[in-house]
Amino acid sequence: MATLSSDDIYQLVRKPIDMAALAQHVRAPEDGAIVTFDGFVRNQSHDRPTLYLDYEAYESMALAKMREIGAQLHEKYRIHRVAVVHRLGRLEIGETSVFIAISAPHRAAAFDACRFAIDTLKRTVPIWKKEYFEDGAVWADGELPPAPAATPRAKPAS
Amino acid sequence: MLLAPSSFTGYNSPVPSVSQAIHVTVLFFGRLKELTGHAEDTAEFADAATIEQLFAVYAARYPELAKYRSSVVASRNQEFAAWDTPLRSGDEIAFLPPVSGG
Repeated sequence: MATLSSDDIYQLVRKPIDMAALAQHVRAPEDGAIVTFDGFVRNQSHDRPTLYLDYEAYESMALAKMREIGAQLHEKYRIHRVAVVHRLGRLEIGETSVFIAISAPHRAAAFDACRFAIDTLKRTVPIWKKEYFEDGAVWADGELPPAPAATPRAKPAS
Repeated sequence: MLLAPSSFTGYNSPVPSVSQAIHVTVLFFGRLKELTGHAEDTAEFADAATIEQLFAVYAARYPELAKYRSSVVASRNQEFAAWDTPLRSGDEIAFLPPVSGG
């Protein structure tokens, strides 16, 4: 069955994310469910009040990794359309930094896929946020993406 | 910037060297960009070198960077890459701190 991935959306943007438009984009008559994830800027980090966040990305690689996640979603789950949009630049408290919308004929696949999408994005997509406080700024603790351990060598002569 | 840390002799030799100089683009992100003061640099090696050796050149130049070695992953042409990956001319190598998108 075709994955219909040409109908998917994977974007990095510098303006507010239009969540309603993305949810509408993934909606189709043959579907019965859409699950969305709205990740937005929290007003504190480790009990310190946050002023704002600044996101940066290795854009070409980030987009490639977002599309890779999409391909995995279509492989693993019976879903229809996917939209994954991450915002970059300065974001104020309460603004959406990442939005994911996934449609599917049935809800279970959409829930599972959406969870997989955000979890994998946070682990593997090269995007970084800097947190600004009253008294300074820090790069947020992140996750080290899994990388190949060592290049496989030609098999040893035996 | 010209690195050529190893045998540079063959490079200007009248006898053509077997290996050709390797030019790569190097990208730094997040705190690594702040530590080095570079978002992008170019590096040249006279001989075969790996991503690990490329990092070592910068770690020698920016000692702070060395402390982060265990919390850096490398990519080659937008794919995560092992540290022992050989550099090829034209490669885009990036050093990535732990990611924190979302």
